[in-house]
Amino acid sequence: MSANSSTRTFRPYTGEKARIARAYDYLVLVLALFLFIGSFHLHFALTVGDWDFWVDWKDRQWWPAVTPIIGITFPAAVQAVLWTNFRLPLGATLCVACLSIGTWIARIFAYHYWNYFPINMVLPSTMLPSALVLDAVLMLSNSLTVTAIFGGSAFALLFYPSNWPIFGMFHVPVEAGNSQLTVADMFGFQYIRTGMPEYLRIIERGTLRTYGQVAAPLSAFFSALICTLMYTLWWYIGKWFATTRYLKRI
Amino acid sequence: MATTTEQVKVMTNQNKFPPWYLKDLYRYLSAFAVLTVIYMGFRIYQGAFAVSTGLDSTEPAFDVYWMRLLNFELVFITLFTSIAWGWLWFTRDKNLDKLEPKEEIRRYLTLTMWISVYTFAVYWAGSYFAEQDNSWHQVAIRDTPFTANHIIEFYFNFPMYIILGGCAWLYARTRLPLYANGISLPLTLAVVGPFMILVSVGFNEWGHTFWFREEFFAAPIHWGFVIGVWFAHGVGGILLQGVTRLIELLDGLEEAA
Repeated sequence: MSANSSTRTFRPYTGEKARIARAYDYLVLVLALFLFIGSFHLHFALTVGDWDFWVDWKDRQWWPAVTPIIGITFPAAVQAVLWTNFRLPLGATLCVACLSIGTWIARIFAYHYWNYFPINMVLPSTMLPSALVLDAVLMLSNSLTVTAIFGGSAFALLFYPSNWPIFGMFHVPVEAGNSQLTVADMFGFQYIRTGMPEYLRIIERGTLRTYGQVAAPLSAFFSALICTLMYTLWWYIGKWFATTRYLKRI
Repeated sequence: MATTTEQVKVMTNQNKFPPWYLKDLYRYLSAFAVLTVIYMGFRIYQGAFAVSTGLDSTEPAFDVYWMRLLNFELVFITLFTSIAWGWLWFTRDKNLDKLEPKEEIRRYLTLTMWISVYTFAVYWAGSYFAEQDNSWHQVAIRDTPFTANHIIEFYFNFPMYIILGGCAWLYARTRLPLYANGISLPLTLAVVGPFMILVSVGFNEWGHTFWFREEFFAAPIHWGFVIGVWFAHGVGGILLQGVTRLIELLDGLEEAA
């Protein structure tokens, strides 16, 4: 336990005081673990969850654009508290690790074991490399501006390449029913859902399709631009919520 | 050098587990254990009966296996709220101005335990059973707002974390001087904001009735839940309030070995 205090000369606690501080740290750690699994996961699932749930939603245009834009929100807000007050450079990694734990548990027990979706169909994406870089940039620069521009951009740009080793194999072409489609599409057609992508939306619609194989990098760069703005916005949202005010009445 | 009676007393207290500042440790661990059993029990129940009896709400078996469960939950939630909030209120400390620093330190750690149990309930409601809602509604047709997962997610999990958040708020308000003298804004945000998620259930069900019965998680119909969960960031403010006060209290505490 430590906090930046302008009036206090920092001297590490020893003996019982140190044990009390350590006990408090552990309690906060447990609290933070469940808080961020629960809250970040709900926020993420209800905004970009469909892209994360299903392998056939993981397209070249929307998935690399929207996932980092939503994924950078909680990391920025938590960094604003943990870095500013405690000099802990782990806000982003903490949030994203918690999200990964939550999604993996749900995919295995809620999708695979309850409703028999193949686990390969519901593999969650990862933002861990992006989060590690975001934390590292903040730690090395100690600057909101530098982290928003370079960290935010890196967060988005790293998303697609860090997920490609996991999902690339599902994008190889196969021929079925006299049509060429991907293995991911085959999963979709074999396991009919109410959230079928072809029913709810048309994948890869728009003129971006004209650019062929560079659709994913273009989406990633667009995401990078928005991430720099989202990072700054959510940094201040995090700071606003971390108020220490006491009110007379509510 | 001889060992005095006072030193022996200090040494004995040091070896005591849990130490005075973690007096509620076993209650805290028990709360985790009880909640884990309840939530895992729900999941096992769903695994056993959802496919066989939970797909058609017009079937008589649906009433037996699911609507009875809903009624049981509502009674349980009502009783639990009355008992938990009533106990916290009626056992409140009426002499907070005479609170010893060591006791205040202990209560800050206990408040952190309460919030921790609250976040554990938030995990089950916001993470596991929330995603499971998506999974179930891919394969089950929504012919009722009380689906096999909604009955657990909306009418047990959501009320349960709200009750536990309320417990944390009441504990702070009735047992810690700073929280009794003023209403902590971040603690209130962290409890009231997620409460609004329960209110959003109304909009969710209304929208699913009128617009679409499919499950599409990113749809704007669900964004009320999202805004509610942002208020969980109030925990950052609770942490800062707690740390600031604990440093004051620890600095004033006499050094013990």
